[in-house]
Amino acid sequence: MKLLIIEDELSLNQSMVEFLSASGYLCESVFNFKNAVEKIELYDYDCIILDIMLPGGSGLQILKYLKQNNKTDGVIIISAKDSLEDKIHGIELGADDYLTKPFHLSELSVRVAAIIRRKQFQGQSIIIAGDIEVDTLGKSISIQQQNVELTQKEFQLLLFLIINKNKVISKNAIAEHLWGDDMDIASNFDFIYAHIKNLRKKIIAAGGEDRIRSIYGVGYKMQLP
Amino acid sequence: MKLFTRYNRINITATIFTFVLGSIAFYFVLDYVLSRQLKETLRSEQFEIIHFAEQHNALPEIQNTRHQWITIEKSSEIIARPLFKNSNFYNPREKENESVKQLFFSIQVAGQNYLITVNKSEAETEDLLKLIILVTIGMIALILLFNYLINRNLINRLWQPFYKTIDEIKEYHISNRQPLQLSSETIDELNLLNVSLNKMTQSIYEDYTALKSFTENASHEMQTPLAVIRSRIDLLLQQTELKEQSLQQILSIEDAAQRLSKLHQSLLLLTKIENKQFVLNESVDLKKIIIEKIQEREELIESKQLQIETNCKNVTLSFHHHLAEILFNNLLNNCIKYTPEKGKINIELTDEFVCFSNNAINGSLEIKKVFQRFYKPSDSGEGTGLGLAIIKEICRLAEFNITYTFNNQQHIFRIEFKN
Repeated sequence: MKLLIIEDELSLNQSMVEFLSASGYLCESVFNFKNAVEKIELYDYDCIILDIMLPGGSGLQILKYLKQNNKTDGVIIISAKDSLEDKIHGIELGADDYLTKPFHLSELSVRVAAIIRRKQFQGQSIIIAGDIEVDTLGKSISIQQQNVELTQKEFQLLLFLIINKNKVISKNAIAEHLWGDDMDIASNFDFIYAHIKNLRKKIIAAGGEDRIRSIYGVGYKMQLP
Repeated sequence: MKLFTRYNRINITATIFTFVLGSIAFYFVLDYVLSRQLKETLRSEQFEIIHFAEQHNALPEIQNTRHQWITIEKSSEIIARPLFKNSNFYNPREKENESVKQLFFSIQVAGQNYLITVNKSEAETEDLLKLIILVTIGMIALILLFNYLINRNLINRLWQPFYKTIDEIKEYHISNRQPLQLSSETIDELNLLNVSLNKMTQSIYEDYTALKSFTENASHEMQTPLAVIRSRIDLLLQQTELKEQSLQQILSIEDAAQRLSKLHQSLLLLTKIENKQFVLNESVDLKKIIIEKIQEREELIESKQLQIETNCKNVTLSFHHHLAEILFNNLLNNCIKYTPEKGKINIELTDEFVCFSNNAINGSLEIKKVFQRFYKPSDSGEGTGLGLAIIKEICRLAEFNITYTFNNQQHIFRIEFKN
């Protein structure tokens, strides 16, 4: 999977490269408009991570360019502008998703994975994580061909952990992913614990192996080979 | 008082004063001229008689008229100089008392001394004077009337551009995203007003735009380093060799960064609402949003064993969807946060108002401060202190009236929609 990361802030760009590379993506990064256009002209990417305000031009122009040239690269906009119009404008111009800065890298990672799943529609809706099979379209999981009933939140949580496998995910990141950021984050920590507990119970009951590790006081991690 | 009324009052007073003064002067001048003319007439009569007497050595035959008559008496008395006299007596020809001007003089004809009196009634003069005064007064009245009418119409017409300008200023709002564009006028003063207003709003608008883009850029510039902090923390967490103590420290940095970012987003939102950057023209189903927001918080509500009673009618308002969500989000967040376990929350929605009330943990909030920015009651914990300020600003923008009351150990937030 090839990603292009267009972000002028060096440190943020590097963080994204580091995190996503560890998730198995092949990442290329550019820091300005001109280089971004050059890369896009030459290569196709599975997903482009695009900042709007770039030295030398606007990320929206890149979106227009992609649309005009019938490029099918998935695009996720990352921008500090949290206005609804900007989001709608970006989506209208062909972006697949919009993430407001600051964000958790784990959140970015799930969004990227979702875009790639959507773009390459060749049986990719099934993700295998150890003995768990996740059907991202049907929003269901099965262990040893046996369907396991999960609530919506449990499913979201499991998928979040699986996509970010082998990474420590903080409770803040989980809470934001499950409930959005317009709710009190801290009051949701107890529910995360409850959901994790239920997930473990259900996985074990279905004969699966519990690979969710608690990192005390910090968060959780899905340990997968 | 209107400028025109004020001006008119002064104008009319001055006009009346001038006319009265002028009329009095006119009266005296006229009176003087007329009585001189009368004397002239009498004197010319005298000369005619003397002339006749000198030529013919006899007195002329006297032909009296209604207003002028001459009496001749033989007299031994001689008046050295002709003598004028005003007297009042009955004129049998006119059958009324009249004031009469008389001229006495002596003449010697054929050795006989005569005293001749030339009488001329002043009635004519007085009539003339009366008529002239009457015409003058009539003229004054007419002039005043016309003056008033012309002034009223003309001035109203002349002021029309002024009222147009005022109307445009009233309509103007800085978030219309352009400076005022008042038309140029033919009248210098009004043109000056319009030009100055155009200039003023132009510079205000420029300042406003600069400030707005500053706020936006500041937000952008601030969120980027926050994004760096957050992403670096996410990476740090992956380092397995970290001690638990270090992890805790990293997490508290993350919390702080998150709060900072949230605070900044809230302030930016407040600025945007204040700048009226939201247009309230979407048809928004309030009931739907309230129900959605409650469902999103189901777990939280269950875990605190809260009882939520909703009594909602289907209400659709011309509003802004995102703002409506923020509004109910904040209200509901507060309700849930500040209700004790097993407490009760009541939500009522009608065409006129929406009311959120909940059992209080402690006593009343400070009614005067409750909507102030960064107001935090002592038990509020980690909030930004901007939630209610945002609610208030949204209500202000939509011209809703929000009130907080504390009654029966309940916090009650009530929003009246405009009618």
